[in-house]
Amino acid sequence: MTQEQTVVDGDWHRVHPASPFVRGWVALAAIVYFFGRDTFERAIQGRGNLGDHFNERALLLLAGGVVVLLLALGSFVLSWYFTRYQLAEGYVRVNTGFLFKQQRQARLDRVQAIDIVQPLLARIFGLAELKFEVADAGHSAVRLSYLRLEQAKQLRATILGRAAGIADGSETVEVPEAPEQVVLYVPPGRLVGSLILSEQSFFIVLSAIASVVVSVLTESRAFILYLIPAILGLGTAYWRSFNTGYNFTAAISPDGIRLRYGLLDTRAQTVPPGRIQALKVTQPPLWRILGWYRIHVNVAGYGEHRRSEGEHRTMLLPVGRQPEVMMMLSLVLPDPGTADPERVFAAGLTGLDSGAGFVTTPKRAWILSPLGWRRNGFLSTDTALLLRSGRLWRKLVVVPHQRTQSIALHQGPLARLFGVADLVLHTTPGPVAPKLIQAATEQAVGLFDQQAVRARKARELQNLAQDNSEHWLAQRPSAVPAPQRASTPQRASTQEETDHG
Amino acid sequence: MHTVAIDPPGIEWLRVSPKYVTVRLVEWAIANLITVGLFSLPLLFVELGWWKWPPMWLAVTVPGAFLLLALWRLALIPRQVRAIGYAERDDDLLIRHGIFFQRTMVVPYGRMQYVDVAVGPVERVLGLCTVKLHTASARTHAHLPGLPAAEGARLREQLSARGEARLAGL
Repeated sequence: MTQEQTVVDGDWHRVHPASPFVRGWVALAAIVYFFGRDTFERAIQGRGNLGDHFNERALLLLAGGVVVLLLALGSFVLSWYFTRYQLAEGYVRVNTGFLFKQQRQARLDRVQAIDIVQPLLARIFGLAELKFEVADAGHSAVRLSYLRLEQAKQLRATILGRAAGIADGSETVEVPEAPEQVVLYVPPGRLVGSLILSEQSFFIVLSAIASVVVSVLTESRAFILYLIPAILGLGTAYWRSFNTGYNFTAAISPDGIRLRYGLLDTRAQTVPPGRIQALKVTQPPLWRILGWYRIHVNVAGYGEHRRSEGEHRTMLLPVGRQPEVMMMLSLVLPDPGTADPERVFAAGLTGLDSGAGFVTTPKRAWILSPLGWRRNGFLSTDTALLLRSGRLWRKLVVVPHQRTQSIALHQGPLARLFGVADLVLHTTPGPVAPKLIQAATEQAVGLFDQQAVRARKARELQNLAQDNSEHWLAQRPSAVPAPQRASTPQRASTQEETDHG
Repeated sequence: MHTVAIDPPGIEWLRVSPKYVTVRLVEWAIANLITVGLFSLPLLFVELGWWKWPPMWLAVTVPGAFLLLALWRLALIPRQVRAIGYAERDDDLLIRHGIFFQRTMVVPYGRMQYVDVAVGPVERVLGLCTVKLHTASARTHAHLPGLPAAEGARLREQLSARGEARLAGL
């Protein structure tokens, strides 16, 4: 089992030799195309490169091309040779660069999420990129591209095992991949349906009607021309959503929540327990027909969803019915802190007024939000704060108490006139911005005070339970079923083929 | 107007230095005099006969409105400065701002990632500084301007020490 040991005991490793080619194939193709075009054209036209005096240029071009190509290949080999990683003493370290060297290390127990990404080309070659996220808002602390898929999975299991505290650095035994249990699958049909009924479709239909009306009224057909780029853009947006949302699978393992999705490019995310900072369940108006919801989360490592990559990474559930929403909520919040979570969350999703104990905007302030005042409200359970809003665009935000960063109370002149105030919870960057709107001033102030106390108590409990370390399996009993990390021999044996010196 | 409407009850607020009014005045002067000056240029040009447009009433109204707005803001500055307050509680720091748009914020010591002390040129002359608190959330925009330098240093040390003692994971 020497190979197993090599990964564990702090040896330096290199990524797969094919990595630079998979990453830089566009550059290679461009070089070949640019310098080779002349030659190819001549060859196709049946003229040789030798003979007439024109071909000197072609030869020169070809020679230049070969030189540039060799330089590119050389830099690829060098960049591969100098990219090395190590896993030791609770750190993952990566060295890159041969002219400008960069050394980077990240603490394993600070891991916020680990992604295994397979772009199409890498997938064809069976390679994968491993991204190790710490809490710095959207920049992967460590990206290893590319490793063999099996190796990436093994590395992920090792990192998560170390971070969870079930294996310390001195051990030379491989950490087997944690068993997982699939809990949710979004069929492609429902994904397509959700796209058809999404907000953007709503606006497309609206703008289509408008443009038809306008073109009839003005008797001009020029509008059709303007629509073409819009249609192209929307087509791309739909395709992107379909491509990334395809085959969405959620699974639960002792390592945390595993999400897998993607049609051409696939991605497997692992978010360890307690790494979800905030969560929101939303329902666009048209989804109400079929009772669909979607869930977004804030994870410290994923950062702003506006970053192209983060957009889909923060999706915990692209489309699902209420039972699935409840199940995901129970995964994120194993202890809902209330006796009747079903009723409370259902009231949060669809309820009005004070059902299940929600406190809503006082009647005196109805004019500030004529539609939403019966829905805007909050409820604090023992473990989380629930904020609900939106009559047409329904929204429920859940923030666990121990994840609250800071709290602010806002009140403008108009709100003061009606005796209401807004309460803002600050959480790590992401798509969820928890805000309680238009609560009665006395209740908002009360909540402001209580919430500060609750957050402190929750943090203290968490510190006590975990001895202020972030090892989630070492001290705390696992919140999920099937936590047996039995060392399955099949999984361990996959490690055999991973060594490439 | 009652300015403590949304503050939690029973808090002894520490106020920032009254000298901070000067800092705000300088900022006000730089921002508003330039704005009003720029918007007065058409008036000058029309007056000199260089421009035919805009009409006189417009050329007077626009800078006039900006001037009024600026004077209104000027009149508010002392009250705004008096409205800034902070209070160190056992486990968190409270910060309040504003009269019309009130903001009260609570930052737990255990949530602080780091504390900045910044000193601008005007502040330096007056011996003031600005303390900024940073948590893992970019939306925590917790800053305390206009503290005397000694108080700023004390607060920074105090906050760091308390943060250390209560530091919690994300």
